Amino acid sequence: MPEEEGESLIHVAIEAEPLFDIGPLTFTNSMVGALITTAVLLLAAAYMTRRSSLVPGRMQSVLELPVELMSGIVSASSTRWRSYVALILAFFLVILVSNWVGLLPGVGTIGITHVDASGHEAVIPIIRPASADLNFTLGLAIVAFVMFVYWGIKANGGGGYLKELMGEPGYMAPLMFPINLISELSRLISLSMRLFGNVFAGEVLLATMLALVPLFIPAAFLGLELLFGFVQALVFALLAMTYIATAIAEHHSSGHDDHGEADAAHADHAPAAEAAHA
Amino acid sequence: MAHDPQRSSSSRPPNWALGMDLGIRLGLSVVIGLGGGLLLDNWLQTSPIFTLIGMVLGIGAAMATIWSVARDAMRR
Repeated sequence: MPEEEGESLIHVAIEAEPLFDIGPLTFTNSMVGALITTAVLLLAAAYMTRRSSLVPGRMQSVLELPVELMSGIVSASSTRWRSYVALILAFFLVILVSNWVGLLPGVGTIGITHVDASGHEAVIPIIRPASADLNFTLGLAIVAFVMFVYWGIKANGGGGYLKELMGEPGYMAPLMFPINLISELSRLISLSMRLFGNVFAGEVLLATMLALVPLFIPAAFLGLELLFGFVQALVFALLAMTYIATAIAEHHSSGHDDHGEADAAHADHAPAAEAAHA
Repeated sequence: MAHDPQRSSSSRPPNWALGMDLGIRLGLSVVIGLGGGLLLDNWLQTSPIFTLIGMVLGIGAAMATIWSVARDAMRR
């Protein structure tokens, strides 16, 4: 590998880099990362649906661990937790696996050597973790945003949700509407930018450490990234959950407790029904 | 699965994620307000009217965010 003194071929571009084109679609390295994430989750799901037993083995216990952790947290968020637990779990698992894909050997280091117009040589990694691409994190944040707006509208009605945005008293609406709109938008951007920023910063840190000290030291940073990947997945899932639970709580506090009681009753009976079914 | 909703419902979901979110949202509110004002000023050639209005609204949105997060945390 040709390498000038003091200059490493390893680099991390802020945007996902194109690998090849399929018709009008440009296939980027973060798409490869997203496909690997999907494959890992599908394989785990296939294993769980075909080989799971009442007394779990080691593999089943490991696969159940993150699901149990998130289910425990989500079930404490509101009485209607069953309606959105699958979404929160999906967020958590997709982000967790996607973050950890970046720590696999070869990811970010094995790539295609590319010479740009200025004659500078760089390696384009074949695999890049999907969550180190702003398009991916923004996509996840938009799904979360749509879901908590949906829950807000479902709980309060379209008019009620608009009234919430307008604020009270009514004559303050010209001031409060743009303020609340900015506040809502800041949720969407903060969700996506935090995840992207943390994962991308981790990738840059690992690449820098590999270039500076190729042996031993990067291992410590890999361990840290393992922890950060988990924390970021947890933060995204918890925030999405909190926003949805808040939309429902606003509905409950406005005096429409009938659904909540019905759901609480459903929640009380559901475990018994599940036990009977088992 | 060995998950027990009855047992876990006694504990509250952690609030630290909201704390981590709050700092970023405060900054972003001002950036969104200011950015929106700058874009409007560029478009309508009215500088600096909408920039100032956007900045004030952004700071207002940051304060509204603190209020809303604190209120929700107290409710829960």
